[in-house]
Amino acid sequence: MLRREGSIDAIISQLPGTLLDGLIRGLAYVGIALGLTIVFGMLRLVNFAHGAFYIIGAYVGLVVTEHIGLWAGLIAAPIAVALFAIALDYGLLRRFYHRDPTSQILITFGVAIVVQEALRLMFTGTTRSYNVPGWLHGSLNLGFTQYPTYRVVFAIGIVFLVLAVWFFIERTNYGLIVRAGIRDRIMVQLLGGNVRQASTVIFALGGAIAGLVGAAASPIYSVDPNTGFNFLVPSFVVIVIGGLGSFWGAVLGGLLVGELQSLTTLISAPASDIVIYVAMAIVLLVRPSGLLGESDVIRG
Amino acid sequence: MNNRLFYILTALGLIVFPFAIHPIGGYPGLATDILILGIGAIGFNLLLGYAGLLSYGQAMFYGVGSYVALLTVTRFFPQVHSIWLALLLAVVFATVMAFVIGAVTVRLYGIYFALLTLAFAQMFFFIVFQWRSLTRGDDGLQGITAPPLSLGPWSLDLTATLPDLNLGPFGNLHDVHYWYPFAAIITFGVLIFVRVLVRSQYGEILAAIRENEERSTFVGFDPKLYKIAAFTIAGMLTGLSGALKGLSQTATAVDSLDIDTSGNFVIFTVVGGVKTLFGPLLGTGIVWYLQNVIGGKTDAWRLIEGLIFVAVIVLLPAGLLGIRQPARLPYDVDRGRGRRSYPSQLPDVVGDEPILVVKSLSRYFGKFAAVSDVNFRVRTGELRAVIGPNGAGKTTFFNVLAGLLGASEGAIYFKGHDITRMPGPQRVALGVAKAFQTANVYPDETVFQNVRLAALARVQGMFRPEFLRASRRLDEVAELAHDALEMLDLASMSEVRVGDLSHGDKKRLDIAVALATQPEILLLDEPVAGMSIEEVQKTDRLMRGLAKRMTVLIIEHDMDLIMGLSDSITVLHQGKVLAEGTPAEIRANRLVQEVYLGGHLQGELPDVKEHKT
Repeated sequence: MLRREGSIDAIISQLPGTLLDGLIRGLAYVGIALGLTIVFGMLRLVNFAHGAFYIIGAYVGLVVTEHIGLWAGLIAAPIAVALFAIALDYGLLRRFYHRDPTSQILITFGVAIVVQEALRLMFTGTTRSYNVPGWLHGSLNLGFTQYPTYRVVFAIGIVFLVLAVWFFIERTNYGLIVRAGIRDRIMVQLLGGNVRQASTVIFALGGAIAGLVGAAASPIYSVDPNTGFNFLVPSFVVIVIGGLGSFWGAVLGGLLVGELQSLTTLISAPASDIVIYVAMAIVLLVRPSGLLGESDVIRG
Repeated sequence: MNNRLFYILTALGLIVFPFAIHPIGGYPGLATDILILGIGAIGFNLLLGYAGLLSYGQAMFYGVGSYVALLTVTRFFPQVHSIWLALLLAVVFATVMAFVIGAVTVRLYGIYFALLTLAFAQMFFFIVFQWRSLTRGDDGLQGITAPPLSLGPWSLDLTATLPDLNLGPFGNLHDVHYWYPFAAIITFGVLIFVRVLVRSQYGEILAAIRENEERSTFVGFDPKLYKIAAFTIAGMLTGLSGALKGLSQTATAVDSLDIDTSGNFVIFTVVGGVKTLFGPLLGTGIVWYLQNVIGGKTDAWRLIEGLIFVAVIVLLPAGLLGIRQPARLPYDVDRGRGRRSYPSQLPDVVGDEPILVVKSLSRYFGKFAAVSDVNFRVRTGELRAVIGPNGAGKTTFFNVLAGLLGASEGAIYFKGHDITRMPGPQRVALGVAKAFQTANVYPDETVFQNVRLAALARVQGMFRPEFLRASRRLDEVAELAHDALEMLDLASMSEVRVGDLSHGDKKRLDIAVALATQPEILLLDEPVAGMSIEEVQKTDRLMRGLAKRMTVLIIEHDMDLIMGLSDSITVLHQGKVLAEGTPAEIRANRLVQEVYLGGHLQGELPDVKEHKT
């Protein structure tokens, strides 16, 4: 983002655009953090490989879009990541569900490194992006400002995604098994619910969401093998601020972090990298359970 | 391994190291880097391995160490131009920084701790990056002339090389700069220091806290202070590592503070083996070799590194060197046996003055009052039972007394001190001890070591920076431990690992652990629950013995036991005191009968007598 420091007037004139940029970035964070928080909430798994889901989705989206088209890319990315997540869950992570959080962080951190480096070998380290169909080019007149069409569509898409995930968890029978499984895993199993399968479904779902967002966000933020980590860390910041495991906490946290970063660029562009860590440190020291979190998870 | 053998083998290893790696493409400069980075990893291992703290921000100490060392040479004290001063200032700076940051971060656990340390590291990255006038931002510090190593009148240029001597397949002595022996001597010192540290009393207690923090708190250790000390020492070593790296390279850059550097220390340590002395060095060696030797041949080295990391975690969770080994030296179990310099402190009578006074105590969970307006008074030497139906608030009441839970309202006085807001370890120091409802002990230690840790807390206090000396020679600790084991009839099992004990023995051990803190008041939460009849009878006998030496509060559902054992009984119901009196009075109390038996089955209680309350 360009560094345009200046008078109050200049800042005010840039305000609408900056707020919109913050909203878009915030919604991207929401999309990524959503999967991270439901996986933690339901599996109690601290998943450092979540950024890898995003980046796999982004590259699958990139390749499929280049060969077939954007819509195919947006369908292929979440499916590919979901399959990867299921394989990862069965092959590796299952045995770490009930280990201490430190072991979980370490193994998922290792998976993230392997994915990142494998992608680097396949696609080299260069930054990539791709073009969207013609009708998504250009910008829309929002009344108070002009704004790129693709970003507006992206924002609407994320809102629908959030609502869909919420509906799945809160309003379907399957979601009921999942929610009950968090409270009392053994009881749900005794009642005939397949918690094991539900865990896998949730893990795959979390991955699929991140993969979809990765594919959809690439035209905006571009992709390189490090992007996964670059989005992972802010996503943790988001869910810590919102409350680890809290659905609406991830939404609130994502929007807050996006806007906070964006607004800080008005004052000092470099400071926008650091402001979210300051915010997270304050939340951790004052209210470690996060804005919307339950206090019983603090010992993680 | 005895000390002399350890010194000789370690020194030999350090001497041959730069030449041993020559056949596989290594070189002496690589060896120097590995040792220097390894010092940081050894420090990190203190945190992750011994304290159980996964810090994701070690780069801040490493990076700041390198900047402070180089700035000391170029900006702060250019006229002194001393490598010693550069190292000293860097280490002091990193140590102070680690102490302050440790003090605010160690209260968090797991992912929260990792993220908070990461947040601090990112802030330091930002400061260093932005403070261009001092750090030259993006460019970093380069082209610095490192001062020679001065020792009194001698001065040695560390960048000079050793004399020419062909070693055949192991290279040439001439390839070695004096930096290597310098780094090797420092590494040797660090290894000795850390070896002594983890075997010291401090290391012993740190390991205990890692194994069971709650129990450690309620035998009287302050876990926070032990962790802050670990964080500080780790920061100190990582700062030293950064300073040496900066000076040996005569340059540093802002990426020395970035998240990848922090991640590197994690990878080094985990690959080599957490909780081992040489593991971090080995891990650093493997990864650094991959990066610098294999990295020159193939781009895939980082993928290989990642795969090794994952494979180690899955296949060898304790790391390459983490073969299960006795973590500490065996204790001399016979030490202190049969001697008794600690007399029991209490007279063998029930006194009149109250030892514990509770005034209008309440504890809420949300809006639910688990304990509500309880007034309670216990005389010195009394054995008081607290009974009540399930959910009456008995355990909550005990937890508030011991300090596991805070009081919402009211006050608690012990021996005249207001302990209402006092943290758990301080209450233990004053003489309040608690045995837990579910045995809360150190499962991987022996019976004797469990009790010994509690005795150590009594003798040495909440925190003692005893970094260099082991606690094995403290006779009074062993005495206290033997006393407690004998009182609970566990002496014959001293050497049994606690995880292998039966349920009943574990519960008696939990009482012995509480007892070894030499309490004046002992809180027992359902001591015989789940025990067999023989075990109950045995425990009954033991508790009668205890009651002669101290004040005892006991929660129990076994009415036969309670009626025969206690001097007086308090009945809790729905968080409130329902009745209080002698066993006979309580047995006859209509309210109590109603609460327990729904009021219909009075005749079922033996010896029912009318009694007015």
